[in-house]
Amino acid sequence: MIKPENQISIPTQVPVGPKFSIPLRFRDRRRLTILLTIIVLTYLTIITLPTMVPNQFKLGAALMSFAENIKIMFLQPHLANTTFVALLAALGQSILLAFLTTLIGSMLAFFFALASTRRLAPTWLVLGIQSVMAVIRAIPTVLWVLIYSVVFGLGANAAVIGITFHSVAYLTKVYADSMDELSPEIIETMQAMGLKKSAIIRQAVIPYMIPSYLSWTFIRFEINFADAIAVGAAAGAGGIGYQLFMSSSFYFNFHEVGVMVYLILAFALVLEIISYRLRTLTHQ
Amino acid sequence: MNSDVQQVNNFFNNKRFRLSVILVILGLAYLGASIGLGFQTRSLLNVQNGVIWLIQNFIPNEASKGYWNEIIKQLFRTFLVAVASTTCAAVASLFLSIIGAKTLTPAITISWVIRAFSSLLRNIPIVAWAMILLFSFKQNDLTGFLALFFMTLGFLTRAFMETIEDFGTEKIQALQATGATYLQVIFQGLLPEVAVALMSWVLYMIENNVRDATLVGLLTGTGIGFIFNLYFKSLRYGAAGLVVLSVIILVVAVELISNLIGRLLS
Amino acid sequence: MLTVNHLAKSYDGEKKSLTDVSFSIRPGEVTVIIGPSGAGKTTILRSINQLIRDDDGEILFDDTNMRDLNRAQLRRARCRIGMIFQNYNLIEPLTAIENVLHGCLGTKSNLTGIFSIYSNQEKEEALKLLQKVGLEDFAYQQCRNLSGGQKQRVGIARALMQHPKIILCDEPIASLDPRSTITVMDILRDLAINDGISVLINLHQVDIARNYADHVIGINNGQVVFDDRIAALSDTAIARIYQKDANLEGSAIHEF
Repeated sequence: MIKPENQISIPTQVPVGPKFSIPLRFRDRRRLTILLTIIVLTYLTIITLPTMVPNQFKLGAALMSFAENIKIMFLQPHLANTTFVALLAALGQSILLAFLTTLIGSMLAFFFALASTRRLAPTWLVLGIQSVMAVIRAIPTVLWVLIYSVVFGLGANAAVIGITFHSVAYLTKVYADSMDELSPEIIETMQAMGLKKSAIIRQAVIPYMIPSYLSWTFIRFEINFADAIAVGAAAGAGGIGYQLFMSSSFYFNFHEVGVMVYLILAFALVLEIISYRLRTLTHQ
Repeated sequence: MNSDVQQVNNFFNNKRFRLSVILVILGLAYLGASIGLGFQTRSLLNVQNGVIWLIQNFIPNEASKGYWNEIIKQLFRTFLVAVASTTCAAVASLFLSIIGAKTLTPAITISWVIRAFSSLLRNIPIVAWAMILLFSFKQNDLTGFLALFFMTLGFLTRAFMETIEDFGTEKIQALQATGATYLQVIFQGLLPEVAVALMSWVLYMIENNVRDATLVGLLTGTGIGFIFNLYFKSLRYGAAGLVVLSVIILVVAVELISNLIGRLLS
Repeated sequence: MLTVNHLAKSYDGEKKSLTDVSFSIRPGEVTVIIGPSGAGKTTILRSINQLIRDDDGEILFDDTNMRDLNRAQLRRARCRIGMIFQNYNLIEPLTAIENVLHGCLGTKSNLTGIFSIYSNQEKEEALKLLQKVGLEDFAYQQCRNLSGGQKQRVGIARALMQHPKIILCDEPIASLDPRSTITVMDILRDLAINDGISVLINLHQVDIARNYADHVIGINNGQVVFDDRIAALSDTAIARIYQKDANLEGSAIHEF
């Protein structure tokens, strides 16, 4: 499950000053912000929606065809151009890709996070690293893979490096945020005992980090699995994503797409079960 | 050496042993995955080549400045599609999550059906959405909009449901005890309390969808993703670089605005 | 042993938190700093081991001024100053024995800290210290499962592991129940009497100070308004320490 990178807490608001009538709702900053945001979003949506439907577009026919394809996918899945074993291998490849990029990404991001948490690093370094990471995050994964497939040639190297790029940037931010949550007093206490920085990291920061490290890394694994499929389709980097792309846009065979979607859903179910177990484990 | 010290030694040795086992397993898994994929570890050392290439080739030049108008137009389009799909999905998710949240659901079966439905939407890869929709709705913005809409609907329904369930049963019961109706409980009790949390989810999804819109565009041949692909495949790297630059500016801007709103809300 | 001369500190450059604080403490004694909250007690304690950089004055610990030390020297000096806190500040996911052993890391190399390498002698000592504070049965418990009083005792054992000449205690009993308070204070007094360690405690409970202190320093509004043996702590002296908006330049200080 993706979580917002900075969650917002709600302090209670107390009305102050003399009141001549009892206010039922105070016009505070928060209410106004929400209202304005909703108005802007609604306005943008309303002006966009009509322009999206092209001229002489038969919405009814499109919906009918969409429903028909969904029916073919989910109710009549079978294979034509490929074998089930080949699909399993392709799925395995996507999983390996997601695993490898998460592993490399989480290790690199851990060190970047140490260098960009306010608890341990000077402000200029924090701002520097976080800005670079924000720019890397801003470029979609698939563009990274496309760029690296020109440099390294299309293949595993480009896919791994491209997805890792985005993983490192994402994980650096969330790891650094969870390190920031560590009480400054803890670090202060270790400093008061005369401990070196390396010892503080190993003996204080890491023990506290482990639960959030595990859960964020797992969340990133789920994202990387989705990215691995997308990259396979959009950049031709192999795996089940590539198969999906071929069946749907080359053979137009939605029966086959159905089988693949079922395979992916089965793996997603496994991931949800693991994530549920992980959550109950770390909450103890 | 007495037995107590021996026990401390055992304690530390056990800890070290467990750590070593985990490291060895991860190391082997790394090797296995690398071999399985055909990934060469030394390419990690050549990462800088990609960045150098990026900087050398993607510097916008005189020729690529001519593309600026087209890029801005498509970028704005992509942004609007991302916002519209998130907003529409948020409205539908709010409805689904209220009747699906365990604390408010009219029947527990409905809750499970909605849970399964949102999980299904979320886990169908966006590639599959894009492809099925492309076949029926053809190459236009509506396709991208719907692909993002279905994904976002899945994510937001689950997120909203968790937020509403965190609101707790007690507060709802306190309101019901005053004789409030179902709708009164929702509009007077629930929504004002969870509005900030829901809004932060919506802003997060907009950020995410701006990025995903590029991918969807690439697959469905619309928006900013399509023109990137077009320039990139035809080796007009200067123009493609301009596209990347514009995406960075857009995503960072959306992130900054959303952080600003987040600060105003806190 | 420890002498503080003309210590001054201001936050945000304007409001003075401490103005010209001077006192000294003797080995083997319990010295208690009392005063209303916000008087600057914590600032004094944290200035001694330079967790807060003071603006002015000198802190002589074993005849070296703590303010003149560079980073490495300060780190070495801190190794000989134990400190315990109101919130214990233990590493909660780790066990009691690991927390106690952290006390001896300050004097050791990077690798020792990273790989948690301790000698048998140190392990034996850590066990003895846990025994001393009555927690030998909890050595392998995660600290997050211990009670407040137990956590504070682990904190004391950790400070003792540093072989300190002085232990600074920042409101050590503020979060504890009455029974744990007595246990912790008894341990601290024993350290002064039996081990010759100077114990400097921030407190806001006067009755506890009366029972345990040898020497009392009263702080109000960033100034020392009382500095004498416990026997001299009369009710009028207490009233003066805790009075609000005292016109301190005038009446108060002249009395002693």
